[in-house]
Amino acid sequence: MKISKTRGLVAALFAAVTVVAPGASIASANTEITFWSWRTEDKAFYENQMRLFEAKNPGITVKFTPYLNTEYNAIVATALTAGKGPDVIQMRPYGGMANLSDAGNFMPLTTADVPALKKLPVGILAGAQGYKDKKQYGLPYAVSALGVMYNPDILEKAGVRALPQTWAQLQIAFEKVKKAGFLPLGNAGGNGPALEQLHATIGPTFYGGTAFFNDVVAGKKTFTDKGYVASLKAVADLAKWMPANYQGIDYNTARGLFANEKAAFYIGGNYEIGYFRSLNPSITVGWFPAPKATAGAKRYVGTWADGAYAINSKTTQKVAALKLINFLGTKEFGQALVDEIAFIPTAPYVKINDPAVKEINRWRTTLGTPFLNVVGFRFESPTSSSILQPGFQKLIVGGTTPEQLAKDVQTAVASWYAPQKGKS
Amino acid sequence: MSSALRKEQNRTIGALLIPALAVIIVFTTVPALTTLSYALFSWEGFQRSTFVGFENFQKLFAYPYLDQLIAALRHNTTAFVVIMTFQTSLGLLFAYAMFRVRRGLRFYRVVVFLPVIFSLVVVGYLWQSLFDPYYGPVNQIIAGIGFPELAKPWLGDTSTALPTLMLINLWRWVGFPAIVFLAGLNAVNSEYIEAARIDGASEGQIFRRIIFPLLAPSLTIITVLTFIGAYEWFDLPFVIGGSNGSPAGATDTLALMFYRLSFGSIDSGANNVGVGSALGVLIFTLVGLGAAFGSALLRKREVEQ
Repeated sequence: MKISKTRGLVAALFAAVTVVAPGASIASANTEITFWSWRTEDKAFYENQMRLFEAKNPGITVKFTPYLNTEYNAIVATALTAGKGPDVIQMRPYGGMANLSDAGNFMPLTTADVPALKKLPVGILAGAQGYKDKKQYGLPYAVSALGVMYNPDILEKAGVRALPQTWAQLQIAFEKVKKAGFLPLGNAGGNGPALEQLHATIGPTFYGGTAFFNDVVAGKKTFTDKGYVASLKAVADLAKWMPANYQGIDYNTARGLFANEKAAFYIGGNYEIGYFRSLNPSITVGWFPAPKATAGAKRYVGTWADGAYAINSKTTQKVAALKLINFLGTKEFGQALVDEIAFIPTAPYVKINDPAVKEINRWRTTLGTPFLNVVGFRFESPTSSSILQPGFQKLIVGGTTPEQLAKDVQTAVASWYAPQKGKS
Repeated sequence: MSSALRKEQNRTIGALLIPALAVIIVFTTVPALTTLSYALFSWEGFQRSTFVGFENFQKLFAYPYLDQLIAALRHNTTAFVVIMTFQTSLGLLFAYAMFRVRRGLRFYRVVVFLPVIFSLVVVGYLWQSLFDPYYGPVNQIIAGIGFPELAKPWLGDTSTALPTLMLINLWRWVGFPAIVFLAGLNAVNSEYIEAARIDGASEGQIFRRIIFPLLAPSLTIITVLTFIGAYEWFDLPFVIGGSNGSPAGATDTLALMFYRLSFGSIDSGANNVGVGSALGVLIFTLVGLGAAFGSALLRKREVEQ
């Protein structure tokens, strides 16, 4: 009786262990890792890629779960803070999740573990580093680039023969388009973030691109710098080329004006091209880098890391998770990113076939400059973006001046960013 | 009543109160106190860091939060005054019309109350497309009847965005005070009205001197609920102007600001749970005290039937 009781107990315990931790008891046979993302729209793409990964790595299965974009940060933060969460995490760039990195939620990655990191430029690597310790916590997978998109058919009808190289030439092109009966610029003012991206596209040539970025990050220059004020004014000057009642036109309507071939130009990121094509599959989209402020100025293409892949520091499947990260850094995965969902991958040796994406990437590699707010100042509140987004909406209707807006940004950033403290 | 019976009764009442009390404690008192404690710490993302005393409150009352706070508070107050003046008056008017109508009461009641049961998100998008400056029918009608200069970007212009939002709010909510007032009107003893009529009182006099004073309890409820609703206004502004109170913060409210600070905005980054909690404390103190004093004051003015 006694023996059978003990045996029963052992059997029950064994059963409990296998039920509670199936992964641990049969790890050698099959390892399941979990992978979270905010790209619900790319679910089919990722699931397909995971099957390819599984085929190359027998014994590992990946469960991919995307969450709603707007709720993703809160879900990830809650899970990680509670000591849970997936093994592999799609990580927001720069300030988007740097606070989670600083709190030790992600596993630091070394170039020995993830050789693909060696091939990435500094500004892109920064997209997945801790704000405080500057350690590498993620592998950035794609980059975004800002520029001027145009409709070649409208430009031809309006008699614009050459693409504008300078700010003055751009104004002439706008004028010609207007005379031909088309809308010069599709951008509008209903959406603060879209105006911020507009500024990040056309602004760098006015404030001096990367040199100014480095100076303002180091605290050597401030946002009240003459060049930066001029870049804000340039946004205000574009308002007159926007559609009538531009203040109230929302993001989708604005993009729709370009997609439906009413507007000749749209200023923004490469990721808009996919949206334009989804609305109007027959549209031809041309692309050129923002024109220079004056004949002597330089041109820039605003760019930043779009996101990264990271490993939960509390994972029990470190080896398998690293295998997945390395798979996500391969040329094959990068090729699929551009071919299937039109992202510009960070992975080298990728062949870009799409002519628009190819052109964007060519200019990005030669004229790239960091997106000032995203790369530099989104780490603590109030971020520069939180001042600029409503600020631009005021600026384009004359509710504030470029000088005042620049001052507001400086005060906000100086309240938390050490190198700018006490400066105005 | 014997004291034993009374004790027994008290015990029963106490036992019956426990479930409601438990709900209030778990979902109101504890979160309120937790928020207060959150406001006294500094935060790194969603992780609590060191104790900082009232530093978060100091931050809330300095640039840039102070500017946003004042603007938001002004918008909430405007919303309260305007909603109270127009929405409540119109609700009362509808209620009185329905009270006096001879036929089709049920039809009118449904028509007036219908928007209240629509999904707010649907209402928001519907009105947003009606007011769309490019494709929307509102501006096309205005231009069509010969006033093209009045075809404005209603929700995009900083001077018209908040009034437009309040107009949408009125359309959506006017049925609520109307139904409450209608119930109040039906509760008025008809003998008073008949007696006044026999004494030769006019329709206006009857409304002013008899019906309106007897409606005071309904007015108290509506005033207090409007106060709470206006100072915690979130849903409609969020659906239409987003968490930043677009355009340029013209439709920002205290609740939107709280949301933005606590959870961060997806487009502009970093949150600040500490300052957000300080604002939360401010909002519930304001709403709690306002509602308590308001209802106490209004109760005193009510008359017994």
